[in-house]
Amino acid sequence: MKRRDFIKSSLGAALVGALSGNAITSAFAAGPIKVGILIPLSGPAGLFGPSSQNCAQMAVDEINASGGILGRQIEPVYVDVGGPPADATQAALKLWKGEKAEAFIGMHDSAVRGALTNLFKGQVPYIYTPVYEGGECAAGTYVIGETPEQQLAPVIPWLAKEKGATKWYLIGNDYNWPRDTNAAAKGYIEASGGEVVGEEYLPFTADNFDSNLAKIKDTGANAVLITLVGGASVGFNRAFASFGLADSAIRLGTLIEENTLAGIGAENSKGLYSSAGYFASIDTPAATAFAEAYAAKFGADAAALNSLGESCYEGVLLLSALAGKAQSLSASDIDAIAEGTTYEGPRGQATMSNRHVAKDIYLAEADGTAFKVVQTFANVDPGNNCG
Amino acid sequence: MDLVVTYGLNFAYSTATLGLIVLGLAVVFGLLGVMNMAHGEFVMLGAYSALTVQQAGLPFLLAIPLALIVCGALGWLMEWSVIRHLYRRPFDTFLATWGIAILMRKGVEVTFGREYQSVDQSLPGTVSLLGIDYPAYRLVLMAVIVVMFAALFVWYQRSNTGARIKAMVQNPDLAAAVGINTARLSRATFVTGVAIAGLAGVLLAPLVRVEPYMGLDYLLSSFFILVVGGLGTIEGLITGSSIIGGADVIISAIFDKTAGYLGVLAISILFLWLRPDGIFSRR
Repeated sequence: MKRRDFIKSSLGAALVGALSGNAITSAFAAGPIKVGILIPLSGPAGLFGPSSQNCAQMAVDEINASGGILGRQIEPVYVDVGGPPADATQAALKLWKGEKAEAFIGMHDSAVRGALTNLFKGQVPYIYTPVYEGGECAAGTYVIGETPEQQLAPVIPWLAKEKGATKWYLIGNDYNWPRDTNAAAKGYIEASGGEVVGEEYLPFTADNFDSNLAKIKDTGANAVLITLVGGASVGFNRAFASFGLADSAIRLGTLIEENTLAGIGAENSKGLYSSAGYFASIDTPAATAFAEAYAAKFGADAAALNSLGESCYEGVLLLSALAGKAQSLSASDIDAIAEGTTYEGPRGQATMSNRHVAKDIYLAEADGTAFKVVQTFANVDPGNNCG
Repeated sequence: MDLVVTYGLNFAYSTATLGLIVLGLAVVFGLLGVMNMAHGEFVMLGAYSALTVQQAGLPFLLAIPLALIVCGALGWLMEWSVIRHLYRRPFDTFLATWGIAILMRKGVEVTFGREYQSVDQSLPGTVSLLGIDYPAYRLVLMAVIVVMFAALFVWYQRSNTGARIKAMVQNPDLAAAVGINTARLSRATFVTGVAIAGLAGVLLAPLVRVEPYMGLDYLLSSFFILVVGGLGTIEGLITGSSIIGGADVIISAIFDKTAGYLGVLAISILFLWLRPDGIFSRR
């Protein structure tokens, strides 16, 4: 076939598909709703695959048991997006156009999110669940993860007042999430009367932190904001404590969850704080019930609960709330009613605001290898992400 | 002044631990010419040996015999089943050992899980030395490594086995002709090399992150050190470790960590290009 003929016939086929799309959807309306659940099952973030899948499945089972979304059962399709954005886009496209998935829930990095919002162009509801740097405002996209504003605005003044954190050293891996988080942090540090005494970004390959620790000690910092991720965070925090720095400075992380803390170890976790929308140890009736149900369903050996995995549970809840309020799964119907939609999850009540959610933020202090929530900041605004 | 002492000790620590990590590969790659891509995974198995001993509530030092047995047995099996058929076929060993490395990572992932583990330091806390506080475990570790290297150096220079290994490395056919059982000697050398990697894993486990993919960290820097230092001599190994470790420490201290990493890469590339046999070449 000539290239031009091929293009013509493909266009024709696409047109027919587009025209008959509504008819097909309504004919199958009583069937299950396919929801693409995009989580990392391989690659550096593969560690969070099992807990993410468990949490999403739990929400699906609960909603299906109580009648589903708009009277239809949810059929989750799990897709590995631990690879490069191009692979994730391919997989999502196949699911969307080929298998007729009607909504997507994603727990992955921002590079993949950027590729997906470009692909979806607001034509299918897409919920992005993990903590991230803020600023996503694409049509049809709803973000429930913590923004730097939420994690830091209430926490930095609290640490300044209660723990005397005045001289901050900022250290992170070298990409946009740490840089944007630190840009936000600087404003809050100044407003709380503190100063930034150092700022450093490390390549992902870094596994020796001695020179950074020498600098931190030399600057006399009494607080360190850590935006290192995964293994880098583990290595840094272990070395930090072994040099005795935990006695002279507190540490605050915005992505130190239960797995990372387990790697840091009990003897290295003194004075370590983490700010997030969820911890496995939150002591509210909703969170306790959730943790108990998780343990009952998946057993004691299941992947430990953490904020990233749990965010997938919240993602399914939000989808159900949006579809229920719009009485539709169409992206435009949902976009029309999204603002102000609320739902109740293990994190507490969340309210959509500017495509993000206002919600409670917890500040937890490490106690050995468990987190103990020391302060809850109610209904924290996500900041203006559509500026 | 304090900063100078800190950087000095960091430099010594970096050199010593790099030397410890690379020693096993120096034996396997430097003497036998086996490009062992699973080197880091034997370090990882050593770290998991320390974890196993800790989880069983046994004293830390028991991890050393456990790691030597586990890595030695696995090394023996690997040499018998794969490596011995591939001596003098560097590209084939490269691929085969990379495959074995993947198998080892996945095996540990299935057994222990993907998550991060933490091995406690048996000597927590810091010691005041030359006016600064330095981690006690690191100081002890450096002393142990120095003693280990000194003993190895003397043994390799003086012992009959050392002489046989040197003969085999220089001319395997001639060594076999004078009655050296080179097949057995190669196997023993390989097993020793990977067991040393396991030992390095045990000793480093309290200081580093422990997870199934940790071995990858150690593979690349090990090859860099051998490129710079040259193959087959202990002097080369120590010089390579101090150049790679020193470049990282000094450049990172003056500029930042990214510059330190770039410096290490630049040095390695320059050596590959201008002095491919390294500083100390046995040729």
